[in-house]
Amino acid sequence: MAEPRNVGIAQLVLCKAPEQLTCLGLGSCVAVIIYDPIKKIGGIVHILLPKAPPNCQNEEKYADTGIRKLYVKALEKGVIREALVAKLVGGAQMFTSLNIAIANIGRDNIRESRDTLRALGVRIVAEELEGNRGRSALFDASTGKITVRTAFGVTRTM
Amino acid sequence: MSMAEERAGKVLEIIKEFANIGAGSAATALSSLLDLELMNDTTTCTILPMARVADWLGGAEKIVAGSYTYLCGDLKSGILVVLPEESAVSLLKHLTKDRVTISALTPIQKSALKEVGNICLCWYLIAVSKMIDIDMIPAPPDATVDILGAVLDVPLASLAQKVDTVIAVHTCFKGIEKDFEGYFLMLPEESALKLILERMGA
Repeated sequence: MAEPRNVGIAQLVLCKAPEQLTCLGLGSCVAVIIYDPIKKIGGIVHILLPKAPPNCQNEEKYADTGIRKLYVKALEKGVIREALVAKLVGGAQMFTSLNIAIANIGRDNIRESRDTLRALGVRIVAEELEGNRGRSALFDASTGKITVRTAFGVTRTM
Repeated sequence: MSMAEERAGKVLEIIKEFANIGAGSAATALSSLLDLELMNDTTTCTILPMARVADWLGGAEKIVAGSYTYLCGDLKSGILVVLPEESAVSLLKHLTKDRVTISALTPIQKSALKEVGNICLCWYLIAVSKMIDIDMIPAPPDATVDILGAVLDVPLASLAQKVDTVIAVHTCFKGIEKDFEGYFLMLPEESALKLILERMGA
């Protein structure tokens, strides 16, 4: 099988079974994965910041606009709106004693991601969030499962 | 060569010179701390989309020890010192004279890592701030050991409010006799870059 495609910061990628996607090196960023288990179509947006400013150019960079774009693109690709579920990975606080406002951006990313998904009516079925460890996620569109790995070998499938 | 290209080339040379002086000073401090001779490689400077920064530095999943701080004041810039896993281990062994398990550092080792980051970054900043006569106000740095992609998230997020691409200024250092390496990474905001160029007579 082809190597899974990686979704970098501020990128949005859709896929369908049997394709796989990865999101490597998530710190304070959040990977928002939405998935339709009936059609086996899903997608990831790798967001960096919570709220987009007005007239923003790069929608994929922000939780609010990025998730909406992911939702619209997934509908265009033929997912069933009612079947959609979401999973969230990331949002860690990497530098715990850094005294600048941005140091805990992960928490804001999580909050905005949850709010946006709730507003769109997409249910969150699994989360692997917060803490102070970086994570990498592998998303398999055949099963909808996400394998999350941290730096020193702790792996969880959800 | 067109005027614009010539200008871009000159700008790059100036930024490299700037970073070389900072890195040189930091490497000297690190040398005496570690009691080993270090030399700097040339600085590379490039403009990248956020998504490609980790790949450019060797891959998002590489385990590194990273110290980061952000400069407030006139010269707004993120600055990092990054050590690959093996170099971080040998540094901590040298400093703490103890066994080092990188996945489970003791509080003393964590503190030592932070302090080394602090010393390196301060020496970098002292040298460059003298050169362009600007006071720099760094927040005390923090250090973590994790995958590179995750370490870079906060530094990138602090720039991402304004831009989609970053200017990455990268200077490697290496041990001459012993295997030891790492790099400094400066991520200046555009206003900081302008100020540097202005002060250095571009």
